[in-house]
Amino acid sequence: MISRFGYIINLLKALERNVLHSFGHPPRELAIVQIYERQSSNPPKKFSIKDIIGDGMLLAVPKFRRTIEKRWKRKFGSPEYVWKMLVPKTNIKVCQDCGHHHERGRLCGNCYNRVESETKEIQAKIQEKLGLNPIEKDVIVLYEGENVPEMPNEFWEGKRIIEMKKERPQWFSKNLLQKSTQQPSSSKDVKPTDLA
Amino acid sequence: MNQAQVTKLVSKLRIKVAPEPRRLRNPKGPEGRLDKLRKTVTGLIKFERIELNFNRADEARQYAERLISEAIVHGDCHKPTMEIADYWLLEKELIHKLFKVLVPRYENCNTAFTKMYRAPRPLYSRNIEKAVLELRGNPYPSLINKQYSNRHLIQNVLLDAAKYDYRQAKYAEMADKIGKTENQELNKLSKKDEITTE
Ligand SMILES: [Zn+2]
Repeated sequence: MISRFGYIINLLKALERNVLHSFGHPPRELAIVQIYERQSSNPPKKFSIKDIIGDGMLLAVPKFRRTIEKRWKRKFGSPEYVWKMLVPKTNIKVCQDCGHHHERGRLCGNCYNRVESETKEIQAKIQEKLGLNPIEKDVIVLYEGENVPEMPNEFWEGKRIIEMKKERPQWFSKNLLQKSTQQPSSSKDVKPTDLA
Repeated sequence: MNQAQVTKLVSKLRIKVAPEPRRLRNPKGPEGRLDKLRKTVTGLIKFERIELNFNRADEARQYAERLISEAIVHGDCHKPTMEIADYWLLEKELIHKLFKVLVPRYENCNTAFTKMYRAPRPLYSRNIEKAVLELRGNPYPSLINKQYSNRHLIQNVLLDAAKYDYRQAKYAEMADKIGKTENQELNKLSKKDEITTE
């Protein structure tokens, strides 16, 4: 801008000189007097960031603007690598037992929570009863109000009975115990197998 | 073929082993990794059902399977097997459990001795793959109830009844249709007879 302004001034000066030359020099009395005023002795200081901060410090800041491509990649991710957009899941199934939803190939969260808490209770009970003794016997879990299944004596030789002081949960089937029991051949009624 | 089959002499894993290595980095290197796995195997034998990170479960499962199968093949009078059990089971009372409880339990087992399931993933959290590892025949409630295939489940009873009703209705409809067409044909025949007689 300044250079252009100077250029225009130069142009005007040249024009003036040409015009005046054609008419001859004006008399000396009419000449423009240039008054040169001496300015203050020290020239204007150059701007320096040190004047502002002194002994302080400045944090690093970005120097350049990020391109739109980079900004979008950061925001939405890249479909091949990390895709940050919300995508509908297509692997959701309905649990056949409780009706909650769960991912395919995975345990149902609702059922698992139930089983997990019960398992932890039983584990605590077993540990409490066993203590530090050598473990030489298999464990059978019995709930309150349940009788020891009728079995031959050899079956009980290597077993350790853990009694839970509560009733068997409705969903915990007795199938574990029924597997090894044999119904007397005289009974004709059919019992449901897997029900609690 | 008098030579004994080598595969019968060596205990073989009954589970699938993934071809890619499981990432179990440890600051102590391979030694630390083995220590971790020993702890896991001990926990599995002790508690019979544990939940842990998937890779660790997968790796520990193989060692547990191998340990049990060695114990079954050689019994507790075999010195190397005893040493292996001593190395892998940090709590020494579990050695008794291995030989006196688990070996009789799995002696006639044709399948793998352990089961592994993928644990449910929480919806909004860090994405860590968890697994539930358990010994077969444990006293805990089973993780997958297959009650829906039970014929005596109330839903199945109702569905069966509904199916039966539907089938009966269809049969009745079909019987009606057949009866009608027969009647029509009979009528036509009788009409034709009348025409010819005229
Ligand atoms: Zn469920």
